[in-house]
Amino acid sequence: MRIDADDAELVRASQNGDREAFGLLVSRHAPSIVSLTTRMLGPTADAEDVAQETFVAAFKGLSRFQSDSKFSTWLYRIAVNKCTDSLRARRPQDVSLDAADDESAAVWETADEETPEWKIEQAQLAWELDKGIQALPHLYRESFVLRHIEGLGYDEMSTILGVHRDTLKMRVYKARTLLCQSLGHLDGAVR
Amino acid sequence: MTASELLVQRFLDQELSAEERVRFVVQLGRDETLRQRVIALEQLLLDATRLPRPAVPDAFVARVMDRIEPDSSLWRKVADALWAPREITWNLATAGAAACMAVLAVWGILAGVSSQAPGPVPATGTTAAAVATAPSPVLVRLVVLQPGAKTVQVAGDFNGWNPASTSLEQISSGAWTVTLPLEPGRYEYMFVIDGQRWIVDPFAAELNDDGFGSRNAVLEVRPLSETRKATL
Repeated sequence: MRIDADDAELVRASQNGDREAFGLLVSRHAPSIVSLTTRMLGPTADAEDVAQETFVAAFKGLSRFQSDSKFSTWLYRIAVNKCTDSLRARRPQDVSLDAADDESAAVWETADEETPEWKIEQAQLAWELDKGIQALPHLYRESFVLRHIEGLGYDEMSTILGVHRDTLKMRVYKARTLLCQSLGHLDGAVR
Repeated sequence: MTASELLVQRFLDQELSAEERVRFVVQLGRDETLRQRVIALEQLLLDATRLPRPAVPDAFVARVMDRIEPDSSLWRKVADALWAPREITWNLATAGAAACMAVLAVWGILAGVSSQAPGPVPATGTTAAAVATAPSPVLVRLVVLQPGAKTVQVAGDFNGWNPASTSLEQISSGAWTVTLPLEPGRYEYMFVIDGQRWIVDPFAAELNDDGFGSRNAVLEVRPLSETRKATL
């Protein structure tokens, strides 16, 4: 199997039992999936484990993959579902998966995030932003990560999450606003 | 979402028409609070795009492939079919045919040993494949994906851990390769990206602690004769 074969060729070969082809798919998509699971679950062993589970589930489900859809979209969908399962299993008491429909989610805890130096230090800023993303309610977080970290459009996000694009726009907007508040960008200006 | 929020959302997502955009910018000029809010949101999106991507853990691909159940692979199904016990009913004709095949097989093996013709032999490891043959050494091909790299080298037991002595060649967009003549044995190695960044081979079937808090990829090169038997 050629190393520069496109996803469709590699998927077809994998469906015919070519494990090397599937290894190339894993290698090609690992950065995106590891990024997604790390942003969703935090930089923990869980994130790598869930990323691995995503590819294992994809391999087992290859026969059901529809060749007219994008392999990356399909992988993202598996990864998002795996992250949701992991969060449910990890901390059921403080993960409200319905939080996006709850305005009270806007006042989640931010007391330990007041470090003004982040405006100067880029690394510190990244650390703060990462922490803020992980503090977002689950549904806001997955929408924000797919939109602004993975750079997906609302149509593809709608396919991955099975949610109408207008709802996703609202979730992304809320996530942006909450993040701005938590990072001190707005000084309480946004309501 | 209020009308004002909807307008900001559409502005950030670049969904406003040209006319709506002009009106919105005029509004920004008049409303200091709104202006600060939009600047903050735009800054946030910029920061988000600059977030460094988490690194893919060492040997991630190998660990995924290990977790894929062999029972689901085509090879496993073929192997199962070959090794599944079957009842055979013998008669004089089938016994005679089996005896002829046994005689032919023994003759074939003896003829093969006497000629010792070399042939292509794959090496072990997911990135290594023998591409030519000789009694010794074995030609081993290393491949790594590094789309953004300017140079890729390899350092290992086979070149005194000197990356300058072995450079990989870019064969297609992002794919780098080198073919090495190696004596059968066990080698540890790492790739060196742009002369600075040392990475483990993501395809490596095995890793070994290097004693300095990192890990090296391990390449097992088996003798041609042994590999040939394994592939029969």
